[in-house]
Amino acid sequence: MKAVGASLPRYDGIDHVTARSRFVDDFSLPGMLWAKAFRSPVASARIVRLDTTRAEAMPGVHAVITHADVPNNVVGHQEVWGIAPDEPLLAEHEVRFVGQLIAVVAAETEAEALDAVQAIELELEERIPFLDVRNAWDAGQPQVTPDGNVFFYYPDQPQRQIRKGNVSEAFAAADVIVEGVYRPGAIEQAPAEPAAALAIPEPNGRVTIHSTSQALYYSMDITARHLRMPMGMLKFVGGTVGGGFGGKIDTKTEPITAVLALKTQRPVKWRHTREEEMLCSTTRAAWHVEIADAVTHDGWILGRKTLTLHDAGAYMMTSAYACSKHAFHLAGAYSIPAVAFNTFVVMTNHVPTAAMRGFGVTSASFAVETHMNRIAQVIGMDPWELRLKNANRVGDSSPSRVVYGNPSTVSTLLAAAEAADVELPPDERAMTNAKRSGALLPAHLVEQQREPVTHPLVWRDNHPALEGGV
Amino acid sequence: MALRRGRGIATIEYPTGMNQGGDPSQAWIKVKPDGHVDVFSGTVDVGQGSKTVHTQIAADMIGVPYDTVTMNNFDTDTSPVSFGTFASRGTFIDGNAIAVAAYRTRQRLLEVASRMMEVDPEDLEIADGDVAVHGAPERKVSVAEVAATASWTYGEMIAGSGAWMFPHVEPDKETGECEPHAAISYASCVADVEVDDETGEVRVTKLVQVYDVGRAINPTLVEGQIQGGAVMGLGLALLEESYPYYPELSHRGPEFGAYAVPGMADLPELKNVALEDPDPVGPFGAKAVGEMANNAQSPAIVAAIHDAVGVWVTELPARPERVLRALDESRQPRRDGRRVIYDEHLAVAAVSTAENRAEGAWRFPLVSE
Amino acid sequence: MKLVVNGKERLVAAGPLTPLLHVLREELGLVGAKAGCQHGSCGTCTVLIDGEPRRSCLTPVGAIEGASITTAEALGDPANLSVVQAAFDEHYAAQCGFCTPGMLLAATALIERKGGALERDEVVEALGGHYCRCTGYVKIVDAVVAASRGETGTRAPSTLEIRAAGS
Repeated sequence: MKAVGASLPRYDGIDHVTARSRFVDDFSLPGMLWAKAFRSPVASARIVRLDTTRAEAMPGVHAVITHADVPNNVVGHQEVWGIAPDEPLLAEHEVRFVGQLIAVVAAETEAEALDAVQAIELELEERIPFLDVRNAWDAGQPQVTPDGNVFFYYPDQPQRQIRKGNVSEAFAAADVIVEGVYRPGAIEQAPAEPAAALAIPEPNGRVTIHSTSQALYYSMDITARHLRMPMGMLKFVGGTVGGGFGGKIDTKTEPITAVLALKTQRPVKWRHTREEEMLCSTTRAAWHVEIADAVTHDGWILGRKTLTLHDAGAYMMTSAYACSKHAFHLAGAYSIPAVAFNTFVVMTNHVPTAAMRGFGVTSASFAVETHMNRIAQVIGMDPWELRLKNANRVGDSSPSRVVYGNPSTVSTLLAAAEAADVELPPDERAMTNAKRSGALLPAHLVEQQREPVTHPLVWRDNHPALEGGV
Repeated sequence: MALRRGRGIATIEYPTGMNQGGDPSQAWIKVKPDGHVDVFSGTVDVGQGSKTVHTQIAADMIGVPYDTVTMNNFDTDTSPVSFGTFASRGTFIDGNAIAVAAYRTRQRLLEVASRMMEVDPEDLEIADGDVAVHGAPERKVSVAEVAATASWTYGEMIAGSGAWMFPHVEPDKETGECEPHAAISYASCVADVEVDDETGEVRVTKLVQVYDVGRAINPTLVEGQIQGGAVMGLGLALLEESYPYYPELSHRGPEFGAYAVPGMADLPELKNVALEDPDPVGPFGAKAVGEMANNAQSPAIVAAIHDAVGVWVTELPARPERVLRALDESRQPRRDGRRVIYDEHLAVAAVSTAENRAEGAWRFPLVSE
Repeated sequence: MKLVVNGKERLVAAGPLTPLLHVLREELGLVGAKAGCQHGSCGTCTVLIDGEPRRSCLTPVGAIEGASITTAEALGDPANLSVVQAAFDEHYAAQCGFCTPGMLLAATALIERKGGALERDEVVEALGGHYCRCTGYVKIVDAVVAASRGETGTRAPSTLEIRAAGS
């Protein structure tokens, strides 16, 4: 019997329904300490004084750590892609968002750790936060980072840009230019299981870390860099996680508990409260997307110009990645021969934003598709027809010049129409994903066409990865 | 007051694997002397079901029953690199690494069986846990016998390792030119809504969704992604926001309730269709579905609201206050020659002051320029 | 103080204001009830107190001295699943599994109370306060309805319509 294609039982189905699946918070050890965090109450401030002496003397307290206890405090989530590190694990001389980690206590019980957190003394010199991405280049605005409020992809070019075709000609030739602004908000990943970690110092100097990470190796790499330890000294345990949706890429609980475990030589567990999940950990970014399309009366999109401002929050996290990814998808599932996309990562004093399901593209899809529906309204065309006409087809090329080999925009549209009992005219129902020709190949789409990449592979028999030995 | 009905459509595409690639996954497999197969992968199962799907891939690639395979993804000492469970890469990239490891494990089983049976390995096939001669299915040995013979008679190990990566690409600085993804998935969504034009409340009554997933390795798990994604998409369209007065910081919701998430009562009628257009590179033709599953609903719902009450809500979520405001203001686009300009009050030009823009050495390019 | 937990009398050392959730997880080692929000807004910590579903994170143990507590661990084991557990497995009602123990107990109590076949809206009304981020709730409602009708023993077929993409 073939397994692939069959709705076989979930591998972990019985474990789940008998409550035997073990999540990080379900592990405890004798002598284990509990961690609780002391966080910034304001969105932007200089730290004038931080005093943990009283907290350290509280009952049950074994350690209070600040940035000075972290071997390598500033690490980045995108160093692997060459983006400079900018995220302190624990705040040093300033705080940039409400909820930023400043110090963490490890104590015998969660309650004792919380009491000690409340005994930490902090004096701040508050600053006006910078919040609206649209003001990022205006004079006199508060500066989120010493390098300003806009990230630079290149020393002389802040934006990720996509350019294809002749945009000026496209706009000159347009019958109508439709412009709109799209602003999907920041939201929480909100998995049912809050982030948690349990770090255990091993007798041989290694540290075992039970982690809710969505990416054990990725989080191990970040933790190893904070600790200045080789990855071989760490062992990450996980793989069974109570939902992630992007929120469990943010690697904070692992290095914090590891630092505490090494300092106290006791196992240390930290589980986020729901408030910490909601208010202090990363969100999906808020986006600001402006689109202008050059359109003909008969429903061809000749060209598109866009401006995107991505609200990265106070530290970079994975924003440069997200904003690049976003840029590649601003034509949506359509073939637009002339485009000029400009996408910017803007730093603000919001909580740092990071991955969430559909990362970078959810915002592009919302903007592009709402804009398509508006274009249909402006030119008085059925939104199905507008989509089916412009839908990418075999041999069309994307804004970054990927040649579509097997697009299925047309087939998903036709299947959706059928499933929703939408009556489409026969000529639309007869459309396919096949290479454009005839009435579907107007002059403006000729030049962007390429020879479709043909894949002669039969997956199982001659997959390129299967060449060569073990 | 009236309940007004509307319908909207959206079509989306979504890449498989990390943008610009460079995200490796690796796997290794060993076969116990009784023929049981142990797969080791660094993939994290966040609930989407990667343990299940990866076990299915390994079972079929080797040719053994599903329930003779264990999936070991619990620590970094035993499991090799997976770049992570994100970017809709689990089935495709981790899956390909596991498939390659399984293919090589199968080759080892064939080699050993060939010696045992004195038959050329090319003339052997493995299915349902048996190694048999092509065209002579009665001439067979079980995978368990092969594994036992390898261990106890030949003193050999049966194992295989595999890796898969879409190599990293750098986009051109000026044009962005590059091929940034391993595959693309597509989807269309039709949303039906009811809008109360007095309270501004929007209720999604039905979502029809079609996803091209390449190949549904486990149809029920694909359906689980589509159902879960639908409700998450509904949440971001209508309910959820971390900053209710964005960009201001006030009134953030610290808990469920104060932060509105979709509950059981928000569940609309769902009709889900999966198209299978096998991907030439994905394992058994599969490509991504997980992440894209919450992308198509919000534009379809916003279009349906427009269809119902004639206003465009382009700041999400479209909560009652925003719908009512849009109805009160009933903004029309400004027309200027050929230009039809919506949302002018939200644009960069409207917020960032003119004198500042003139002073700066560099400024955001306006879309209209 | 004493509690009867999954049929066994247990002595509890924690103070009277300690949430039952913490007593179960940290003192008695029963980790089926989860700390999803710890203030009663998600349902992952639900247990049965004298047969009624209650949020253990909001229940101080001092208020339930002598009560009978049922946690998900007691519903059934892999070889002998309860009807609700079997239905959840057969309907793929658990994805990440974190909300599952609370859902199972609430569903068990609901089915007990109703004593017969449930309609979907009854399930939504009774279990509506339980949060799940993964499933979109469809298969959870399916499973509870099926369990209430005793329709278990076979794996629920996928309702996903699969077609070859025409090109």
